[in-house]
Amino acid sequence: MVVVQHEDFDTAALTRQLRERTAGQAGAVVTFTGYVRDYQHDTPTQSLFLEHYPGMCEREIETICETARQRWDVAEILAVHRYGELHHKEQIVFIAVASAHRGEAFQACEYVIDALKTRAPFWKRETLADGRRFWVEQRESDASKTDQWNTETHHDTKDTAP
Amino acid sequence: MSGTAINVLYFAQVAEQTQRRQESWPLAEPISGADWLNLLEQRYPQLAPTKRLKLAVNQFHVPLSTVINPGDEVAVFEPVTGG
Repeated sequence: MVVVQHEDFDTAALTRQLRERTAGQAGAVVTFTGYVRDYQHDTPTQSLFLEHYPGMCEREIETICETARQRWDVAEILAVHRYGELHHKEQIVFIAVASAHRGEAFQACEYVIDALKTRAPFWKRETLADGRRFWVEQRESDASKTDQWNTETHHDTKDTAP
Repeated sequence: MSGTAINVLYFAQVAEQTQRRQESWPLAEPISGADWLNLLEQRYPQLAPTKRLKLAVNQFHVPLSTVINPGDEVAVFEPVTGG
């Protein structure tokens, strides 16, 4: 399930609902939460504005989740991403993966957030406490992480314990 | 959308530089993404170099070799920074 919204979200409730939907099937739930942080170490961030491309955002994240479901044995993937004006320390994004085994849950979760960072059409604009305002540039390390997922020989983790 | 134009969407930095978010762009014949970016750069020199920009056609990421057809929705943007 993919949700793109301005409103904040409750990670505990989302995780509990995912657990209820996959109870008995999933031996593991792995979650990732991304927060607004200080972008520069010398000046605190005041807020982050997230512009997005409605429609394409949801579709692109859904495609990423579908790829993950084909690649790993997962019961369900949930992705929630916010847009608009977000304040310092607020939540931005939440990914939760339920799977029979932890190895696949970890890998699918990391893949989804890595791919989302380089493919989901969002753009961040920082406003610092001193009033400076600028658009964030894509990090080379994010692009190369996604490339790695595309090229690496995949080692299946067929662990039996959750 | 008529068959003689494309609907162009600008996002984030690109929208600030063009000072618009959307425009109808007359296009009678198919054109490659790379060739269209050259036209975009002629109209908005402040976007140069447009080679760094990304395109989505009908809400799918596409390489610059992709052909844009009349009636398409074409989005132009800097590399994305979500997550």
